Amino acid sequence: MLNVIDYIPGNTLLHRLNPVTKLALAAAIIIATFLANSYLGLVGLLTFTLLLAAYAGVFGRLARLLKLLVPIACIMLVLQVIFVRSGTVLVGFVTDEGLITGGKACLRLLGVALPLVLVLMVTKLTDLANACVEKLHLPYKYAFAFTTALRFVPVFNQEMNAIIEAQTARGVAYDTKNPLKKIQLMLPLCIPLLVSSVSKTDATALAAEQRGFYLRTRESSFKRYPMRGIDIAAFVLCVAIIAAGVAL
Amino acid sequence: MAAIIEMEDVSFSYGSDAQAALDHISLSVEAGDFLGVIGPSGAGKSTLAACLSGAIPHHFTGALYGSTVVAGNDTCTVTLTDISHTVGSVAQDIDAQMVASVVEDEVLFGLENFGVPHDEIEERLERALTCVGIADLRDREIATLSGGQKQKVAIAAILALEPRVLVLDEPTAALDPVSSSMVFETLSDINQRLGITVIVIEQKVALLSSHCNRVIVMDHGRIALEGTPHEVFCHSHTLRTIGVDSPRTVRISNSIAAAGLGEAVEPCLTVDEAYNLIARTLGAPAEGSTGTTNASVQRAERPSPHAPAHPKAADAKPVVSFRGVGFTYPGGTASVSDLDLTVYPGELVGIVGQNGAGKTTLTKLLNGLLTPSVGEVEVAGLSTRTAPVSSIARHVATLFQNPDRQICKTTVLDEVAFGLDLQGVPAAEARARAQAVIDRFGLPAHEAPFSLSRGQRQMVALAGVVVMEPEVVILDEPTSGLDYRECMTVMETVSEMARQGCAVVMVCHDMEVVSDFAERVVVMTQGRIVGQGPTGQIFADAQLMREASVTPPQVIDLAERLARTVSPAFAHITEVSDVVATVKELMGRA
Repeated sequence: MLNVIDYIPGNTLLHRLNPVTKLALAAAIIIATFLANSYLGLVGLLTFTLLLAAYAGVFGRLARLLKLLVPIACIMLVLQVIFVRSGTVLVGFVTDEGLITGGKACLRLLGVALPLVLVLMVTKLTDLANACVEKLHLPYKYAFAFTTALRFVPVFNQEMNAIIEAQTARGVAYDTKNPLKKIQLMLPLCIPLLVSSVSKTDATALAAEQRGFYLRTRESSFKRYPMRGIDIAAFVLCVAIIAAGVAL
Repeated sequence: MAAIIEMEDVSFSYGSDAQAALDHISLSVEAGDFLGVIGPSGAGKSTLAACLSGAIPHHFTGALYGSTVVAGNDTCTVTLTDISHTVGSVAQDIDAQMVASVVEDEVLFGLENFGVPHDEIEERLERALTCVGIADLRDREIATLSGGQKQKVAIAAILALEPRVLVLDEPTAALDPVSSSMVFETLSDINQRLGITVIVIEQKVALLSSHCNRVIVMDHGRIALEGTPHEVFCHSHTLRTIGVDSPRTVRISNSIAAAGLGEAVEPCLTVDEAYNLIARTLGAPAEGSTGTTNASVQRAERPSPHAPAHPKAADAKPVVSFRGVGFTYPGGTASVSDLDLTVYPGELVGIVGQNGAGKTTLTKLLNGLLTPSVGEVEVAGLSTRTAPVSSIARHVATLFQNPDRQICKTTVLDEVAFGLDLQGVPAAEARARAQAVIDRFGLPAHEAPFSLSRGQRQMVALAGVVVMEPEVVILDEPTSGLDYRECMTVMETVSEMARQGCAVVMVCHDMEVVSDFAERVVVMTQGRIVGQGPTGQIFADAQLMREASVTPPQVIDLAERLARTVSPAFAHITEVSDVVATVKELMGRA
């Protein structure tokens, strides 16, 4: 039942950074990933992300996500190899240029996805929303919509599993080996899921309003998110990362 | 004391042409009241709660007449946020109410929004958590809490705002009896200690009657009865026509009064009151002669009127067998172990235990959704380890707690026939069989299931189970969210299936239902079966009940206490009528 993007408690430097700083750090890694154009740069940035994860004690969880992402990255590699026709032919239709750009595309995909997920793993959603409202002057409405959407992912996931279980118990053959058949069987389930999610969302809106949602201002948050020395240091690191991205 | 909420001639309907959900309601709630609202489904209870909390007219739209005045303000003239300063409400769907992922943040949300000075926040947060007894859960993730704990978090989050009125819509619907009474204890405490007015909608009569100081009974959008619990439960006949259950102790005291056995008394709302009444009626503790003891033993062996009347044949072939079954969820969070269970055709077996005792896991092992990590589960001659779930489904039908997860077709007829379609029954025959069942239940065959009421959707799901003519039926909390009448329809249908030779395995929190219908009970705690045997015998085992944190049904509890101190003739009684008959017998003897 545990979700990939759940918060994992901890007390490392990474956990204690200001949530906004963490976002900046993730953004810097992502920007650098786009700017970097060598294997050294891309692999370096990816390794840096994984090292941060290992330091924060969430490497195991991130590795589980990696297991999901690697097949997608591989599909991307195959597509690139098929469509990039320039360069010298190595084997059959595979060209060296196709292989090189494909490989970089793979690494970029991983390099963009992982830092953001890492931020969510080491930050409580409420802290992230409150800090963004306080420091970035983001309207609370948007912050709330974003965090609620993320919070609903596991809730809907559970609901979907329960629906599938109920249908399986009735004899719908979800245990079929044919993936196309399975998708065909699952489509009708969108209706019950939609019905329950609309009513859930409505109940959430009502409950939030009854607890003074519309009274909330930037000053409301009880917890404060000051920028400290380590945050400044982290920002310097951000600039260095981007610079490294440009250089490599 | 002054009225804090005053409703005058309020009518409401959800659409211009829809039937009135509230029909000329006038109600006044005094500050400090503990008001219980009960009634069959569709009676307008939730609509009433929405009116009191300001969700009507500010969130739900429709035609509203009359006035609702909360603390001196008409709800139509002030905003929903203003009303919520006075009235805090706890929604029916607890997961939807939560806005944060950690308990502390959940409670902070309202405090921050309402602009509570930051130097007071810590104190109020602490006080709210301590008040409902969850101070130790402050840093926990909400997703890891049990249902009862979540319910308390929801109450604490509202309590921290220090509202003058607390409105709760079926706060115990998903909870086991022990957690339910803990929630009600908390509410009583808040009501008495802090003087907060509590308004609670609830289907569990026994809880309502022992905690509330006022009860209103709703029927068809109107208030049918109103008064103290003693006054309201005098009218057990009216209540039955409306479709509301009375606590068993009330039935006993009313029957005793009706039989002219004692002075006309107020109905007994708790086991204590009933015990005192009977003890008083019979005078000094009667001396139990051996004759009466024998009589009671014979009575115990007579099956209860609802339970299937054919004890299993000793040599019958079991249809379900669990042999040393164990299962652990990935991540090792919850698990069951050493499950040994045999169920014979025609048996109705109840499974009881606290939330998280492993009851649902057992049902999933039974219908093949989970395969055991150790041991063997055999159902209708198939091993769940090798047979695919879709073939087990030919023999085993499951009625889930939430019918909305089961329903996926656009008409009732298609929905009921769906299971037969999946088995490859020819379309024409499937439709004919489905139609027959639909007619029996009086359901609208061509309507969309999602347009029906919650209770009717459960009936559609039940029809889908009945039409399959399965060898085993699994019921997971078949009665939660249903009113008394719907609950009886479900249970009578299931007993009828058992009489026809179908084995029924039922997970249920309502011990009265279990004691009325099950002939055998399996008690689970912490993933193990700690006891199984005939219903009356198991419920009378006080130590076992304590160990599994199960509250025995009122009648059995009462009978055991009477048997210990008043007369052994009361031993092993499980039925209201038997208690009354025994009282009569003992009086005649005296």
